[in-house]
Amino acid sequence: MSKIQTNVAALACMLAVVLVAMLTAQSKPAGQVPRTADGKPDFSGIWDNPKEPGSRAPATVFDKAKMAPFVPGGEALFYEPRTGDPRHDEPRAFCMPSGFPSAFLGPYPVQLIQTPQYLVMSTEFMNVTRIIPLDGRPHKTDIEPTFYGEPIGRWEGDTLVIEARNYKRWSLDDYYYQNPKEYRMHSEAFRSIERLRRVDADTISYEFTVDDPKIFTKPWSVQWQMKRHPEWEKTGLYEMVCNENNRCEGGKCKQ
Amino acid sequence: MRTRLVALTLGLLLATTPLLLAHHSFAAEYDSNQPVKVTGTVTRVDWQNPHIWFFVDVKDGQGKVTNWGFSGGPPGVLQRRGISRDSLKTGDTVVVEGFRARDGSNNASGGKVTFPDGRSVFTASNEDKAPR
Repeated sequence: MSKIQTNVAALACMLAVVLVAMLTAQSKPAGQVPRTADGKPDFSGIWDNPKEPGSRAPATVFDKAKMAPFVPGGEALFYEPRTGDPRHDEPRAFCMPSGFPSAFLGPYPVQLIQTPQYLVMSTEFMNVTRIIPLDGRPHKTDIEPTFYGEPIGRWEGDTLVIEARNYKRWSLDDYYYQNPKEYRMHSEAFRSIERLRRVDADTISYEFTVDDPKIFTKPWSVQWQMKRHPEWEKTGLYEMVCNENNRCEGGKCKQ
Repeated sequence: MRTRLVALTLGLLLATTPLLLAHHSFAAEYDSNQPVKVTGTVTRVDWQNPHIWFFVDVKDGQGKVTNWGFSGGPPGVLQRRGISRDSLKTGDTVVVEGFRARDGSNNASGGKVTFPDGRSVFTASNEDKAPR
């Protein structure tokens, strides 16, 4: 072996060592990400509701800078005027569903339970539960649309992608959206896409995409973050039966 | 001491939490332009969802007693904050501050409760407009 060949070989060895070191460093998570027996990241745990990344501010969906342009007629479909009738304007006051993702954005914990077949997302708020198959099966056709849609999950590496369809036309509000003149709604063409990554032991990076071709010209996304609260596991989620004592339903108080 | 610490923590929590609306809209049920502040005796506590309610007998200058109802946060949210159903007991004398119901009845949100020894308990939901 010539001297040049020896030098090239040595350089190649060094490069290989550096490359292996870099790959190892990249694949090593910042904090231990728990994994299930089948090697997937395990999202199980009790989590705070989604927040703006690096902030305690509650997550919002509708930053106008992030929204895609409207299709013709889309704006009128999206912003529905309030009418003064609380049954129409604030269905939550009658314990009606908040819609998705609004129900998951309020100041209540969310519990995730993961098996190889399903991810269960349950929020204390109104005890809403989503049971999400993880096998990427096709969405059903000819089914009655629902308030919370039909979510189906699939894995893209360590990212869990949840796509939901078959939504009934309903609220697409932020949890705290309180414009007195209007609220926001999606159409029955609404498709939501969530991309969850457990970036460390206590953090989920959560991308939420709105795709509603009857309202927006293209899909658009916002970024959220969820933090784990193991101390809440001692009590678990509390029961919330909204109709137990909804005394001032729609602004009329029972005596 | 522990109670004071809890009250202080609650105050801090409240100060750093957006004071907004409810499982439904606060604005749909209460009028933020009609603040209410009464002193009276707790007659009943309904530790129930979607918001706790507590009732207070309030005596006016002529000695006439009116029973007021006040709503607080959801029981689960309050318990997680360290407020239990024993925090407010029948017979307690309290000052309650909140906002009157839109229907003009003797019902109100009751976000702040102060005891004779000066302790304040914030029963507001994160979502309610709450008195400071």
